[in-house]
Amino acid sequence: MVELKDVSVTYSSGVDALEHVSLKINDGDFAFVVGASGAGKSTLIKLLLKEIDATSGTVTVNGYQLGTLQKKKIPELRRTIGIVFQDFRLISSMTVYENIAFVLRVIDSPRKLIRKRVPYVMSLVGLQEKANAYPRELSGGELQRVAIARALVNDPKLIIADEPTGNIDPELSYEIVELLRTINMQGTTVLMVTHEHELVKRFGGRIINITDGQVVFDEIMEGTDYEA
Amino acid sequence: MKLSGVRYLVGQGIENISKNSMMAFASFCVLLVSLLLVGISVLAYENISSMVGGVEAKNEIIVYMNDGTSEETLGKVEESIKQTPNVISVRFYSKEEEYLALKERMAEYDALFDALGDDNPLVDSFRVKIADITQMNKTISQIQQIDNIMKINAPYEFVSFLTQLRTILTWVMGALIGAMVIVSMVIISNTTRTSVYARREEIQIMKYVGATDTFIRVPFFIEGMITGFFAGCGALVITWLVYDAVVRIVENQVTLLNIIGIGSIIKFDDIYLPAALAYVFGGALIGALGSAFSTRKYINV
Repeated sequence: MVELKDVSVTYSSGVDALEHVSLKINDGDFAFVVGASGAGKSTLIKLLLKEIDATSGTVTVNGYQLGTLQKKKIPELRRTIGIVFQDFRLISSMTVYENIAFVLRVIDSPRKLIRKRVPYVMSLVGLQEKANAYPRELSGGELQRVAIARALVNDPKLIIADEPTGNIDPELSYEIVELLRTINMQGTTVLMVTHEHELVKRFGGRIINITDGQVVFDEIMEGTDYEA
Repeated sequence: MKLSGVRYLVGQGIENISKNSMMAFASFCVLLVSLLLVGISVLAYENISSMVGGVEAKNEIIVYMNDGTSEETLGKVEESIKQTPNVISVRFYSKEEEYLALKERMAEYDALFDALGDDNPLVDSFRVKIADITQMNKTISQIQQIDNIMKINAPYEFVSFLTQLRTILTWVMGALIGAMVIVSMVIISNTTRTSVYARREEIQIMKYVGATDTFIRVPFFIEGMITGFFAGCGALVITWLVYDAVVRIVENQVTLLNIIGIGSIIKFDDIYLPAALAYVFGGALIGALGSAFSTRKYINV
């Protein structure tokens, strides 16, 4: 569960990135966060990952009160969140399998679990055949699916997808959103940040629009060309 | 942390070295040279100390009295020398006693002694043992104030040279150790910085997926430690070879050994273990600390 109550973020430069934002995303929800560049979407993600702190208001993510969360507890919080980036951020020297297993290794998961869990998530995203391939050998869509598998592998409560379709073809974009929808249907909360209004309109669902640091729209809309 | 986690981190540390092999080699070389300079300074210092100790063991000066000094005066002089600070003991040698001893030592020159007849060219003397060799000059000048003393024989030039050398070496060694530790740590720190830069993507991902600070830092710590360990091993081998060669040369210098005493030269075999431990642990420690400071500075976790 993600909850922001009257949250404002002002950077040291004096820029107000978020102003009095309040929103609640329940467990199991799927929500699009839309808005133009500089609207405050990235600030929202940084806030949820506790990269930055709110200037005022309270932020709760997966039961953690971020305002009072100690620095040493940040890794614990982040283990409950999976993150997917626009530019994939895969490690080029590692294979698909190693990129995914890497997440479990850094949180000191048992080898047995790694051997079991990694092939499972690869099969979920349809990449079991590419286990030994390197990122340079994959298409944009495949790269993003690896990134999603990596976000999914430690079974997070929440997945934050930051412009996951920004670097891929439109057709592949639908595939990625569909994949995120499938993951959401299995109980994981998904927050997808995008500036692609067409994509959002097509899929529909809960749409949160941030403009100039404020939530100007937060409603459920029906998709134009998509049936879950 | 689980054993598999430890293995993974050690593996990452080793991988860091191979990924940044040139920088790691540069660190290795700098640490090796630093450790060598420090190690050789320490060994030189220890040897000088041992030599000073050797001379201190023979801390004897000879006070020659004017010819014809009465027995009563000799008694007073002995008492005055005993009262002088830094004097441990005083032993009187009469000129007759010395003459007989000399004749015994130089038995083959009987003819020479016969030519002297009843004349004894020697004088009465006192052998004075002193406590602190560094205070020798002061003690001698105090004894010289006593009347009826002809001259004083003492190895003060050599002692003064050794004690001065020891003082200079103490300062040089202290400065050298300080400078070398700082230089080594800066270089190691820069290597780690390069390593951190090379692995910035991984580090960022690690941070996002919830790796702890320790987990991120440990491979760099291990990288520094391994580099330092091997530099320590290298320095140990070089010191061993060079030191043994120098000792062999010195051992052939009979005159020098007569002055400093054969036991004053420290054999490498006698100090092998402490030297090995100091080099290996010193290297590993400097390497690890250099990395630790750097990761604290450059990885904002």
